Amino acid sequence: MSEQTFQLEAALKIHLLLVDDEPEFKEVMHRHLSRMGIRLSVSDCCLDALATLEAQNVDVVIMDMNMPGMDGIQCLRKVKERWPQIEVIILTGHASVKSGIEGMESGAFDYCLKPIDVRELIEKVELAAQKALINQEDIAS
Amino acid sequence: MTLVDRLLTFVRRLRRPEAETPLLGPEEVQRQFVARYRWFRELLAANTNTLEAMAALETALRDGRTLSMTFIRARCTLATVNVYKIVHHLNRIADGRYSELERIFGRLQQEIESLLAGNPGRTEGELALDLARVGRDQADLAGEKMANLAEAGSIEGVRIPPGFVLTSVATRLFFQRNQLYPQINHIIQQMDIANLEDLHSKSAAIGELIRHSPLPPELESLLATHFERLTADRPGCRVAVRSSGLGEDLGQASFAGLYHTELDVGRDALTDAYRAVLASKYSPRAISYRLAKGFRHEETEMCVGVLAMIEATVSGVCYTRSLSGPSETLDLFCAPGGARGIVDGTRSTSHLLLERSAPHRVVRRLEAADPATVWLTDAQATALAETGMRLERHFGVPQDIEWSIDTHGRLYVLQSRPISVVASRAPATKLSRPDDERILLHGGVTGCAGAGCGPVHIVRTSEEMLRFPNRAVLVVKHPQPEWAPLLKRAAALVAETGSEAGHLATLSREFGLPALLALPRATEVLVNGETVTVDAATRTVYRGRIEELLQAPAVRPNPMEGSPVQRTLIAVLKLISPLNLTDPAAPEFNAAHCRTLHDITRFCHEKAVTEMFDFGRRFRFDQGAAKRLRDTLPLEWWAIDLGGGFVPGYDIRQKEIAIADIACTPMLAIWEGMHAVAWEGPPTAGLRTMVSFLFQSALQDGLDPQRTSALKEKNYFLLAQKYCNLSVRLGYHYAMIEAMLGDRPGDRYITFRFKGGAAGENERLRRIDLLAEVLAHFGYRIDRVGDALTARVEREPEAVIVERLKVLGYLTIHTRQLDLVLAETGAERFFRDKFIQEIGDMLNHERTDLSA
Repeated sequence: MSEQTFQLEAALKIHLLLVDDEPEFKEVMHRHLSRMGIRLSVSDCCLDALATLEAQNVDVVIMDMNMPGMDGIQCLRKVKERWPQIEVIILTGHASVKSGIEGMESGAFDYCLKPIDVRELIEKVELAAQKALINQEDIAS
Repeated sequence: MTLVDRLLTFVRRLRRPEAETPLLGPEEVQRQFVARYRWFRELLAANTNTLEAMAALETALRDGRTLSMTFIRARCTLATVNVYKIVHHLNRIADGRYSELERIFGRLQQEIESLLAGNPGRTEGELALDLARVGRDQADLAGEKMANLAEAGSIEGVRIPPGFVLTSVATRLFFQRNQLYPQINHIIQQMDIANLEDLHSKSAAIGELIRHSPLPPELESLLATHFERLTADRPGCRVAVRSSGLGEDLGQASFAGLYHTELDVGRDALTDAYRAVLASKYSPRAISYRLAKGFRHEETEMCVGVLAMIEATVSGVCYTRSLSGPSETLDLFCAPGGARGIVDGTRSTSHLLLERSAPHRVVRRLEAADPATVWLTDAQATALAETGMRLERHFGVPQDIEWSIDTHGRLYVLQSRPISVVASRAPATKLSRPDDERILLHGGVTGCAGAGCGPVHIVRTSEEMLRFPNRAVLVVKHPQPEWAPLLKRAAALVAETGSEAGHLATLSREFGLPALLALPRATEVLVNGETVTVDAATRTVYRGRIEELLQAPAVRPNPMEGSPVQRTLIAVLKLISPLNLTDPAAPEFNAAHCRTLHDITRFCHEKAVTEMFDFGRRFRFDQGAAKRLRDTLPLEWWAIDLGGGFVPGYDIRQKEIAIADIACTPMLAIWEGMHAVAWEGPPTAGLRTMVSFLFQSALQDGLDPQRTSALKEKNYFLLAQKYCNLSVRLGYHYAMIEAMLGDRPGDRYITFRFKGGAAGENERLRRIDLLAEVLAHFGYRIDRVGDALTARVEREPEAVIVERLKVLGYLTIHTRQLDLVLAETGAERFFRDKFIQEIGDMLNHERTDLSA
């Protein structure tokens, strides 16, 4: 089965925020996403992420669920409550059915497991970006 | 009602608007449909992800490869999260009319969660127990090893050392008080199990955490009280601190030598020894063993036995059924002093064979050192055999017993457990021409029969262990348990010392790894990197690869078989993968009958497709929303844009649309196939066939061949840029094509459904045969039940999907009204050849154009 190269369209039009406390992971993702032309900001923790969202226009957030400080689910709920148009992809290195469903019920766009397949994550970013752009159109109309 | 019937209803309702449904303008219809289309696409993506996660779990079970709970939990989580999405999106598409599914899904989700969580274990009960008070039913408190030992001690004539056990409740208290579980789980989940270096560093990190955590004060004081009581009438007595894990009885596993035992421990070192034994649960060899054998870390909680040290003059191991001798014999291995040197393979041992039945005569003696030195007299050996057989009778299965005889000549049983794996007695392959010139080494004892070949890799240090290449021959001085993580990777094991009774020998039998032990000078004679063939059965190492010896299929048992992890996977798969809802037409095809995640997935997929069709019923299309295509074919084609299906700038107020204004790739492909070869009109039928056809038509409602509108039915294309749904009535027949050309493989597919006809059953089936043959010829996957045909193409590149859509375009035009003539002899073959020829020409013609 041959695979097509994945085409990025919507992802190139949005501002992405990556929230994670692992320096290595952030570095790898930063390298990949920037190379593909995706506009990216990075936060170390939930509080920092909320401050970034307050200060800048962000369309899609990738957020690790297990970070020191604020619980990932709480942070997700805060984001969706304050900025419902933002699409959030949650990441976790600690898979659990309960946390996965909680994340989806709290309004996450999708759920990804670490160690991450970068290509898979980028595909999800494109889909989340498409949705975020539609959300904006809906708000505008 | 079948999908086809629903589609018919939909098409009819498009034609006969009902007064009670709201009339929506073109823009509103489009807006509504676009939203549904988006959810529909998300549902399809989630559907693909679910099926992939399910397939990964099923494949893992079928392959019998090493399964970790991390893998199972991850795949189960992905499947569950995606099914949640499917249910959620279906309810959005259908305005919440399938909310019943949420309850069914919720129940399944909880059951899956609880299976994955496993047995939470006891958190209440005594922290410490005197060994004399431990009963066989207290294995969940004292661990298998200590519960078995206490049980052995209760048998008349069997002596065990006095001692006490720190229970699993104590371990949990220690871990919980220090918040160790979440930290350890986090480290284990991040572990790259294929990477030995990662295994070692993460194992060390966990060990550090445990060794640096304080004991809860109540545990510290209990430890002191029990120690004082044990040593009160034995001044200066020292203790052995031994592991006793939970769940070791759950699978075919010995856990031989995996955990730490600390000997000669005084009061001062007791707490440290306790923590060291707890930490040994996470040693590299223990982690990799549990993984390879399918044990769950959380269900193998460690209990710790504290036993008075025996001042041993001679110690050893007894197998109450001999591993290598005649079947009615038992093995005794012994060496002076404590038992450790025997089980960790560093000591030379004597091997005695005795009869299993009384009076247990000594059959054979293989003395390790000077034959004049007899470590164990015949009388002692017979007494040992008697105790061994007593234990076997009590426990009901052959036993693997560790024992010591103290300075007063008293026999102590230190451990008794079932023999985990009986060595294979398969006859050794004999070389047809003995190849003496290639023999590098000969001798030693067979730890596990069989032959293996690979490059030599000598391991003396942990660094050399980390560099061990896959499928190499592991060569060591002593077969110590610390090399256990290499057993799954090695092609064979060779050691200079050791016996069948050593822990590593036991483990090699569990993994079916050919093992040759007690082979002097192996690390000197064998050279790193040189390819050798080890034939453990004939106790020979050859230079190079000896194909003849390697031809017998390797008997590598599946270490996962029957393991707790495998059982968890099987149990959880029962909630995930069986498909009970197979027939959408059956009365059981409803939400209440969904019993697995697969059922929900299947049900939702079917309903989502139907809901997309039913859209017209609930939100009646205004005639303005559909645009009539200007075309030459004697049929009416209408197009409804769902978003991006018409070219930008097309004036939506127009009533007609030209094909040049269509931007939908799949539709353009179908259209091209429809027009590639001119249609010759309905084929002429013989008189007899026509009479039969009229007769059949009269029997079926709504199939009036006199109805002139039959050829003037409206056929609807629902379009988006990359999606096309065509419902087409071709004369008396009805077909549905759905195609999507997404970026993800799971979003690229064609589904063609076709059912029914006006002619008699034979003709209808012939027509289905014809369609199935031609579609299969052009790469469609065919599924048929009676006169219903489903043909699919999935996950192919865009160019392939486009080409196959042209095939469908051709067939929707050229198979019209074929029932009329298919009754005639040879007609089916004639049309099949004609269609394959014409379609082939059409596709070749385009390929030639492209290459030109």
